[in-house]
Amino acid sequence: MRTVPVLTRLAWRYLWRNHRRTIIMLSAIVIGVWAIIFMTALTRGMVDQMIKDGISVLPGHVQVHNPQFLDDPSVSNRITIGDEELSRMFDPAGFKAWASRVRVPAVITSERESRGVTLLGIDPAAEREFSFVDYDEVEGRFLESAEDTGVVIGRKLAKTLETRVGKRIVLMSQDPDNEIADRGFRVVGLFGASMPAFEEMYVFVGKKTAQKMLRIGDTTTEIVFIGDDYRNVDPTYERVIDSVDGKLKVSRWYEVDNYLGTMMKVMDGFVLIWVIVIFLALSFGLVNTLVMAVFERIREIGLMLALGMKPASILGQIIIESMLLLVVGLAIGDVLAWATIQPLKEGIDISAVAEGMEMMGASSILYPKLYLKDMILANVVVLFLGFLASLSPAWRASRYEPVEAITKVG
Amino acid sequence: MNIVLRLAWRNLWRHSKRTWLTIGAMVFSNTLLVFMISIQFGMYGLMIDNTLQVFTGHMQIQAPGYKDDQKMRQTVPDIVPLASQLREKFPTQAIAARGWAFGLASSDERSYGIGIFGAEPEFEPRVSSLPGLIKEGRYLHGNDATEIVIGAVLARNLRVAVGDELTLLGSGLDGSFAAAVVNVVGVFESGIPDIDRNFAEMPLGAFQDVFYMEGAGHQVVVSAATLDDADLLEPEIIAALPAGTGLVVHDWDALQPGLKQAIQADMSSAFFMYGILVILVAFSVLNTQLMSVLERTHEFGIVMSLGLKAGRLGRLIMLETALMGMIGLIIGSITGVIFTSWFTVNGLSIPGMEEMAANFNLPARIYPQVTPWTMVTGPSVVFLFTLLASAYPALRLHRLHPVEAMRAN
Amino acid sequence: MNKRLLLPLILFVIPTFAAETEPDATRIVREAIDHWRGLSSYTEMTMVIHRPDWERSMTMRAWTKGKDQTLVRVVEPKKDRGNGTLTDENSMWTFSPKVNRVIKIPSSMMGQSWMGSDFSNKDVARADDIVDQYDHTILQREEVDGVTVYDVQSIPHEDAAVVWGREVLRIRDDYVVLEHAFFDQDDELVKKLVSLEIEEMGGRTIAKRQRMVKIEEPNEWTEISVNDVEYEIELKDSLFTLSNLRNPRD
Repeated sequence: MRTVPVLTRLAWRYLWRNHRRTIIMLSAIVIGVWAIIFMTALTRGMVDQMIKDGISVLPGHVQVHNPQFLDDPSVSNRITIGDEELSRMFDPAGFKAWASRVRVPAVITSERESRGVTLLGIDPAAEREFSFVDYDEVEGRFLESAEDTGVVIGRKLAKTLETRVGKRIVLMSQDPDNEIADRGFRVVGLFGASMPAFEEMYVFVGKKTAQKMLRIGDTTTEIVFIGDDYRNVDPTYERVIDSVDGKLKVSRWYEVDNYLGTMMKVMDGFVLIWVIVIFLALSFGLVNTLVMAVFERIREIGLMLALGMKPASILGQIIIESMLLLVVGLAIGDVLAWATIQPLKEGIDISAVAEGMEMMGASSILYPKLYLKDMILANVVVLFLGFLASLSPAWRASRYEPVEAITKVG
Repeated sequence: MNIVLRLAWRNLWRHSKRTWLTIGAMVFSNTLLVFMISIQFGMYGLMIDNTLQVFTGHMQIQAPGYKDDQKMRQTVPDIVPLASQLREKFPTQAIAARGWAFGLASSDERSYGIGIFGAEPEFEPRVSSLPGLIKEGRYLHGNDATEIVIGAVLARNLRVAVGDELTLLGSGLDGSFAAAVVNVVGVFESGIPDIDRNFAEMPLGAFQDVFYMEGAGHQVVVSAATLDDADLLEPEIIAALPAGTGLVVHDWDALQPGLKQAIQADMSSAFFMYGILVILVAFSVLNTQLMSVLERTHEFGIVMSLGLKAGRLGRLIMLETALMGMIGLIIGSITGVIFTSWFTVNGLSIPGMEEMAANFNLPARIYPQVTPWTMVTGPSVVFLFTLLASAYPALRLHRLHPVEAMRAN
Repeated sequence: MNKRLLLPLILFVIPTFAAETEPDATRIVREAIDHWRGLSSYTEMTMVIHRPDWERSMTMRAWTKGKDQTLVRVVEPKKDRGNGTLTDENSMWTFSPKVNRVIKIPSSMMGQSWMGSDFSNKDVARADDIVDQYDHTILQREEVDGVTVYDVQSIPHEDAAVVWGREVLRIRDDYVVLEHAFFDQDDELVKKLVSLEIEEMGGRTIAKRQRMVKIEEPNEWTEISVNDVEYEIELKDSLFTLSNLRNPRD
């Protein structure tokens, strides 16, 4: 039947004849859609940030160790396969990024203080992709190569040690024979991290320098791999297992850091609650608006019925009106959301509101993260909800008795 | 004004359906807001308590200067009787005495520098969650036993298990050599690497022997039922201290600087999101308002042509809105409180929390707290927006030509 | 004299002249350390640890052999008798009779204080690092009471495991160290070891009493007094073993 196109044209014209009402309803939908998408992006950003902070210091998505290492994390249980052979094993397999590191507990000393830290001997070029340290944001400079003889420490640690860029500190650890291994390093850079604990815990030196200090030749203690999605590391995991061929122990990040893994689940649940709340708020708004709209048109609908329009057509028209509104609202809302998120990609700095939280701690910068799949999901759900919301009032409308409806006093 | 009020009221109930619809929107929104904000405040207390519960407690009695210098010689003398006395005065609170020393722990194969705490086995479980986090073996029994419990990471590093022996070496209070061999009776796991790697606990009596403490210790930990209770308790504890000892009481904010701010930072991000929620909610209410006022253009035209001035009509509309707003606010707040209170009693469980609870001794449920503040904030903002909403059409009235208006719709 | 020859002659003479009157700074430092330790030595000494509110005194016996081996055992107070530390090259072990165990001090504890004093374990174990890990120059020399005193400045090598900016030693020409000052990298004096009394003992002129003081905390110091010392005695290698640390046959 040709009623649908006819109804559609009727619906469209109706909407624009009452443009004030239409605009009001549209804006409700637009704001609702914007809110959903924006919120989702915010919460996604929060969870991503938290995990990223946690994982990038943990060995990446997938990690490889000497089989005894996890039970007895000492330098004598390091990976005895040298870097050259590791390259032969892993480079051809086409991982997104991988790196081998030296990680040992050490004591850092300045003229006045000493602290226990974790020493990380890295190849800065290999780790640029996934380090939690932004190389360009380092005060001074970051390490330039694996042979670099400088050390990069956290800002907070520098303060505690009463040292700064240009001064020397001493790092002390032990070699595989349990003999003291120590050496002086010049501080070449200070890094900041969103968690001040990281600034106090980790010190970075060139991998080769660390290997020399610890007298371990060209061996390392851990290898890390990064894939595309921290939520789904299995593909990377499988590939690593293949390349390793049983010689080393391979673990996924959440197997090693139980706390963070569980925390991620809790955060996801938390996000879910927020999303549900927003959807509830939005759908109620939708229902309310649509019911109100139909209610206000009771005389008009009565007139249409009296003039011969079939109830089914009334139903159809109202539904189509709602859908048109929704589609237009969604489109505008999507654009609005995208337009507001893009410029904020650098992060929303709420430290102004939060009284200089930067110093204290937890990330006071929110990074909204817009995923296409989130946006699509939001649109689909809104359409669906809107459709459901319009059913009842449309149904009621089609059931009006024409005479009663016309004479209804508003 | 009285006439206008009665008029407004009657207007509302003449269009009862529309009125109820609008109020319904407000009630729903307010319930939601009260619920979410109560959860948020519940979370605040939860997060702080979680951190404090592990080891710090709500406040500690220490020698002056100990908090910053951590010198062994900054002691609380006669600490066990002191803790006892305080327990008598405050029988419902959790109070425990501790001593602390830095020393070398040595197994057959390895040695590590660690912090050794002397704790009262009977009272420590009430101020710290560590005794409840024993994964292997058991917690300490008996105040004088030469036993020790260590963190899981430390156990691994030292390559010891329950039943093995550890040698402790350090300096006594008088500077002399302190040394002891202790039995590992339990291994705890808090999930916090710092604690699991660097801590050990032994009975306070044995600790005082080994380190020649002569009855002294370093901290008396006090833990109240809730954060608010702790605030009230603090001055009482201060007053109960024996005079002339010079001991100081530090509250948790002093003991864990940055905790408050870190949580506030979390809160700030949450409030940002609440802001959006409130906007969404208020906007939908505003929307409903606008629509309904617009729909009455015809009616207004009639009324104005009968002589009612635009200004008075405007005030009438705003009054109607205010009344609706009040009703929505009151009912909404009440339903909000009722809805939230159900969770205050039964707790809200976010998926994943049970696992956290099982593994890390964190609470499995959130108990939202309804306070006057949480009850009123959200709904008040909605009310404000509602009033604003009615301002626009009220102002428009001034430009309304009655004849045109009557022809509308 | 041919003017042409004068210049090379002068240039030739001056260094030689300098070599005779200006001893090599590194050599001075090395000699000072050798002078203190001797090829072997046995010392009975008292160590006093002083703090604003208390003071502790210990009597100890120490044996040294060569550059690397040192054994120290506590004699008084009775409570602490029998405790000891053994150093061999860069490693240090400690023994406590109370628990009858010998324990190796892990690298993380090498910065901790030695026997509660203001010396660290590392100070005791690595005393001779100063010779090789630094560049030494003579700042000045002066005559004091008929004795020549050299001020030697020692600057650690770039990657030496030393936190100090520089160290300055005042050494007499008989190789007694009068003072050893430690400066941080901003050239602020942080601590110094001062010889308070100099006497002839065991056939040598040595510092009988030395005190280590922190400049910022003048009321905290550790003082070592030598009560008796013998040099170049026969010491068996078995003295410097873990089993001897545990079962004193001395």
